[in-house]
Amino acid sequence: MIAGHFGLAAAVKARAPTTPLWALMLATQWLDIVFVPLVSSGVERLETAPGAKPGAYASLIIHADYTHSLVGALSLSLLLGGLFAVWYGRQSGFVLGAVAFSHWLLDVLLHRGDMPILPGGVGGLPRLGLGLWEYPALSAALELALVAVGAVMYWRAAAHLAPGDDTVRRRANLCGALLLVGCLLTLGLSLVGM
Amino acid sequence: MSFMIGLVLLAGVVGFLDSRLPWPRAGRDGRHP
Repeated sequence: MIAGHFGLAAAVKARAPTTPLWALMLATQWLDIVFVPLVSSGVERLETAPGAKPGAYASLIIHADYTHSLVGALSLSLLLGGLFAVWYGRQSGFVLGAVAFSHWLLDVLLHRGDMPILPGGVGGLPRLGLGLWEYPALSAALELALVAVGAVMYWRAAAHLAPGDDTVRRRANLCGALLLVGCLLTLGLSLVGM
Repeated sequence: MSFMIGLVLLAGVVGFLDSRLPWPRAGRDGRHP
């Protein structure tokens, strides 16, 4: 899931307006941002699930044993929230840490039992993941729903920032439209395996 | 690819444009950061 995380962040912006949108968008992908260099260096890796078409949407088993372990995700979320709290205050720090951890919660719905509890999968504890990716249409529908709800909530909140001010209303409409287009583009690219 | 495009577009472009909107702002102690 990529677009769905962005949709959730947009919804949070409507409810936590003092927290910057760019930081929410960064926070919602924070675990994957850390994941990218670890994949490049071979510490974490991806493989195609048995029976799935390589490169297709929802086709992966993700061995992100550090960034997407329960304890690893909590630690990374606390780190991000703590860093942002320095600049944006305790409340925004908490919101951004929670949004970062929401990535793990949504991923647990989708992943195929590949998310360990402890970093590196130490201790041989059960791996988590409810496996919604086994049903790509359902997981795509969940992403689309998150995008739609998030974009509508954001757009409505932005449009009511300065009633009567046409300049603000135009800018808010531009932001709302671009946010929706960006989320849908991201979802579309994911669906075609890009 | 979708990850990078989404991040650049949403955190970068939309995030920048959104920062020009008059959202309430609060830093530590309620002051601007």
